[in-house]
Amino acid sequence: MGESVKTIYTLGIDIGSSSSKAVILRDGSDVVSQAVIQVGTGTSGPARVLEKVFEGQKIGMDDIAYTVATGYGRFSVKEADKQISEISCHAKGIYHKHPRARTIIDIGGQDAKAIRLNDNGNIAQFVMNDKCAAGTGRFLDVMSRVLEIPLPEMGEVHFHATEWAFVSSTCTVFAESEVISLLSQGVSRENIVAGVHQSVASKACSLVYRVGMTEDIVMCGGVARNKGAVDAIEKELGKHVIVVDSPQLTGALGAAIFAYEATVKPE
Amino acid sequence: MSTIKELIAQFREVADNPKKAMDDYKKETGKGAVGIMPVYCPEEIVHAAGYLPMGMWGAQKKNISKARSFLPPFACSVMQSVMELQLDGVYDELDAVIFSVPCDTLKCMSQKWKGKAPQIVFTHPQNRKMAMSAANVFAREEYAILKQKLEDILDVRISVKALKNSIAVYNENRAACREFSDLVAENPGLISLKDRHAVIKARWFMEKSRHTAMLKELNDLIRSADKVPFSGKRVVVSGILLEPDEVLDIFEEFGFAIVADDLAQETRNFRQDVPEDADPLMALAKAWTAFDGCSLATDADKPKGDILINAVKKYNADAVIVCMMKFCDPEEFDYPILLQQFAAAGVKNLQIEIDQETTSFEQVRTRLQTFSEVL
Repeated sequence: MGESVKTIYTLGIDIGSSSSKAVILRDGSDVVSQAVIQVGTGTSGPARVLEKVFEGQKIGMDDIAYTVATGYGRFSVKEADKQISEISCHAKGIYHKHPRARTIIDIGGQDAKAIRLNDNGNIAQFVMNDKCAAGTGRFLDVMSRVLEIPLPEMGEVHFHATEWAFVSSTCTVFAESEVISLLSQGVSRENIVAGVHQSVASKACSLVYRVGMTEDIVMCGGVARNKGAVDAIEKELGKHVIVVDSPQLTGALGAAIFAYEATVKPE
Repeated sequence: MSTIKELIAQFREVADNPKKAMDDYKKETGKGAVGIMPVYCPEEIVHAAGYLPMGMWGAQKKNISKARSFLPPFACSVMQSVMELQLDGVYDELDAVIFSVPCDTLKCMSQKWKGKAPQIVFTHPQNRKMAMSAANVFAREEYAILKQKLEDILDVRISVKALKNSIAVYNENRAACREFSDLVAENPGLISLKDRHAVIKARWFMEKSRHTAMLKELNDLIRSADKVPFSGKRVVVSGILLEPDEVLDIFEEFGFAIVADDLAQETRNFRQDVPEDADPLMALAKAWTAFDGCSLATDADKPKGDILINAVKKYNADAVIVCMMKFCDPEEFDYPILLQQFAAAGVKNLQIEIDQETTSFEQVRTRLQTFSEVL
């Protein structure tokens, strides 16, 4: 009989601007463990997410064959064997989860990206938001504070809107002033929340239009957990947008897959 | 004989210390210096007067505060920086400053000059291609007025002979710069991107025949140098300028070599020679109407895409990287056209944003790393 094949564990770590994510993968396809800590680069997040992803597991860091770090904090992860950009990692992770994906919308803490994939899952084109937090997770964070609605509840509140308010998509600071003005005019918070999501959608979709839109359109990143933002993006594009499971973790998943590929196909 | 390293150190000394270069010139010649605002100027007229033309391309990592009183927040980053520097008195030792006004921002900036040096504003005709003869006459007249104003301010007379000589000096420098760029492309592992930039940038702060002499010596050394192994990606870059050094470091970090540029601060200023003409002012005028490939020089045929696509072919490049000056609306308006031309020609491309105020380069890093992974 053939000799036994050793199990290969790989680790993907995605250190973003506002959260830290990790995925342990077995043999390049099975997720053994995954973890998210809601603080990112420059905080305790990277250390804590590493601790958390191994919690309750029979394996430790010594059992990991290869580690790939991604995200803004990728170069500060000392455990990493290699750093790969988050755009490549999200594309890899999304294509693994949903091979029919051709357009990816990734909205994270301070970045928004649109990525177009070819039929092989390779990146054909990508664009990022310019240096401005409008249309990103940070934008929603600020609005949540002004509106006194916890961030996780923003998505649900969105669906109680009767008429979407207009909130500019130009600048987070200007938009915050607009929201305060709308509040003082007595516009309902539900309608303002929908307007805030429309503002995010307007920014994100401008990237999609630039990169070229081909279905299936898949969304990932922390903002994909906000059903209201997804609804606004669908309405703006006039297309169905698929949100993958654990959308915040696709970057770490892609990193873990790249790590596996590095072990079986070394450069 | 100097080594490549020694010569590049001399170029870098000039590029990094323009004030010292100006002071040295004044000490050596007893003449002064004239500021040249971006982007295009018949510098030869200043050179013929015996004065040192000094490029005014802003500065990196400069906190912009006072300039906000005079410029809208969305004025391009070079102009924000230049306005801050002039309010700080950095340009006060210049004997004059020459403004061309080929874009709205420069036009408005020319009306807000706050430095002590007298300013001379001139207009480039934008009917360059559709009515070339008329545009030549108009440009020649503008240059004649510029020359007269300069003579009055500096109290010198600029002869036809001196102007013809300066045109020859500049054409020789342009040829040396083109050769330098090509030699670097042939051996991309030899000269770092920062050094390539410093060598070219130094021409903005040096008397051109001196720059040419040093550059010819450097070109000879590069030509005879051993080939350095290079396994990265060859790219053509386009835009107004590609600074600061931190961005060039990121290019190198991800294995990019610049094999040709289409930067206003670099090749666009030496891509074409000034043609021969009995009338040197008309020769300079014809250089403007013949000039191609910049968003600030109107051409309805939009030849920039073809220039870049041809550069990709000529230099065996893997891609074009568009270095978009933040809030440079002429370049931003042309970008969608470029994208269509790249797509039609199958040229891979990326855009990064250039901002003289920024000290954070993570977005640029992510874009360049991803692009290197895609290529």
